[in-house]
Amino acid sequence: MSVSADQAPQAVGRTPGRRRDRMPILRHAVLIGWALIVLFPIFWMLQTSFKDAGEWVTWPPHWLPHDPTLKNYAQIFALDVSGRGVAREATEQPFNIWGSLADSVIICTISSLIALFMGTFLAYAISRFGVGGKHFRHAVLLVRMIPPIVVAIPLLMYYAIMIPFATEAVLGTRVILFDTRTGVSMLYMALTLPFVIWMMLSFINEVPYSLEHAARIMGAGRMYTLWKIVLPLVASGMVVTFLFIFILNWAEFLLSLTLTHPKVSTLPVLLNKFQSASEGRLYGPQAAIGTVITIPVVVLGIVIQKHLVKGFSFGMVRR
Amino acid sequence: MSQATTSIPAVERAARPDGVFARLAAWLAQERVFRWIPFILVEVTFLLVIVIPFILTIYISLLRWRANRPFEQAYLSGFHNYESVLSDAGFWASLGRTFYFAGFAVVFELLIGFMLAMLVHQVTRGRRIYITIFLIPMMVVPVVAGYNFSMIYLDSGPLNQLLAPFVEMFGIDPRIRWLSNPLAAQWAIIIADVWQWTSLTFLIFLSGFSALPPQLINAARVMGASRRQIFFWVELPLLRPAIIIAVVIRTMEALKLFDPVVLLTFGGPGTSTQTIAFYLWEQVWQFNKYSFGAAASVLLLFIFSFLIFTGIWLLTRQQKQFEREHIR
Repeated sequence: MSVSADQAPQAVGRTPGRRRDRMPILRHAVLIGWALIVLFPIFWMLQTSFKDAGEWVTWPPHWLPHDPTLKNYAQIFALDVSGRGVAREATEQPFNIWGSLADSVIICTISSLIALFMGTFLAYAISRFGVGGKHFRHAVLLVRMIPPIVVAIPLLMYYAIMIPFATEAVLGTRVILFDTRTGVSMLYMALTLPFVIWMMLSFINEVPYSLEHAARIMGAGRMYTLWKIVLPLVASGMVVTFLFIFILNWAEFLLSLTLTHPKVSTLPVLLNKFQSASEGRLYGPQAAIGTVITIPVVVLGIVIQKHLVKGFSFGMVRR
Repeated sequence: MSQATTSIPAVERAARPDGVFARLAAWLAQERVFRWIPFILVEVTFLLVIVIPFILTIYISLLRWRANRPFEQAYLSGFHNYESVLSDAGFWASLGRTFYFAGFAVVFELLIGFMLAMLVHQVTRGRRIYITIFLIPMMVVPVVAGYNFSMIYLDSGPLNQLLAPFVEMFGIDPRIRWLSNPLAAQWAIIIADVWQWTSLTFLIFLSGFSALPPQLINAARVMGASRRQIFFWVELPLLRPAIIIAVVIRTMEALKLFDPVVLLTFGGPGTSTQTIAFYLWEQVWQFNKYSFGAAASVLLLFIFSFLIFTGIWLLTRQQKQFEREHIR
């Protein structure tokens, strides 16, 4: 497909030239150097998450915990609720991550799923009927390029003022979207739709139209054709797209920081809460939360790695 | 694209609708209706979540209102808020700083990403492992990346430990507080951004390199071109789309810089690391200056829209050119 194209590098490796013999070592040295740079911060977080309070900040810093402990994980998962002997500093924050974990998982899953199906449907319509004109898919990118802070300020007022006022006038009850899972999910859904449309368009364009045509002639309805003929053929593409936008939503910080405060908080916001609590930062639990947030996403990312190339190439790479 | 417009009237007429729902379903299944359903769904979403809030913001930006007073007491004040934004030194300073961060970060990301992609493309052994490792930062949640770097820059962190032998030669205490120095804090943020997003430029360039047609390069080699000539006259022009895409995507993203600022420096020391996103966030969420924030976000959209349209235009042109070349 793309990254794993093995034909070109061999051609380069065979070039005639005596000086070239030293090159591979140099190349690998540079690459290994960058690999170390890439892995080091992650390694540091991992090892900090196994350190006890006394070891978080020492001079010289310990590269590996001298007596490794699972205390930080026990703390954030609230396995041992007693909390004795733990450096609580002056914080009154709840330590466990279950609430935020639930918020994050629910918000990301629901918004990604809805965006996936809406976006796929639209990508199908664009691909087959040319809906929205030639420039629609570029116009859709606009949504993605607006800086989120520019969206956040209007949305704060919209969620906190306009929707409660409007629903009270029309329906008689105040509907508040600020600090709710629904509010955040709606926003995430809208903001990831452009990616879904772009990625699914490239997958759907590859499905031959003759298949659908045959089904239609044999009397299948439109939804039936879409559901039974087209979707199974792009299922793998949909999985990749879903995982990709799930990762995006999972990592989103600014909007969930600004549009939720006391009740709902996604995991990145929770990590930040440990930070700004007081002077005494809780490095260990933070590292543990960081690890918990990062590991599933990195694993998912490695799974879809090959397909990411296609999603990000904006049509440069074709099969 | 539009080869699909062959409707099949026989089938549609054959299914006689009886109930209301069946008739509705039949109406929806007509091509002229069906094709617009997803479009309308998506447009309504954008309208509800992005357009209406924005219209509301324009209204609020014209009001004189602070959050400590009830909304009903607000009154229209013309362009007062816009004037105060435009004459606000902090707004312009943080906007300038955003471009400064984005500029340096994007240049380094492009250079390093390009170099890595070239090297990985030339290497045969361990290729897959390198790719897997180099793409990891992209998947790390930005907040976590910010946290990781805050650990590294700590006054008793690993960075100072590594530098200690050099620093101690000059008789300075090696436990330097990097994030307390304005310049060092700014570069700390740039470095964190480069660490995280070089993986994206690497990915884009790598896909560009693997799309290079080997026939052209072999032909050039057979005709006696040197390696340097091949690189500058064959490969580089072919990589232009990848370069444009990387520049556009990274520039747009770098201008949104927010997460590492919050995690690493919280805008400090002083205001030396406040980006525009951080500045507005502080104005609205810490100081409750809602109508100021509304006016600022409208202005910001105007300022950025030039960049956004340039970016989209570049991407569109690239796409069209690509499609023209591949029409054969």
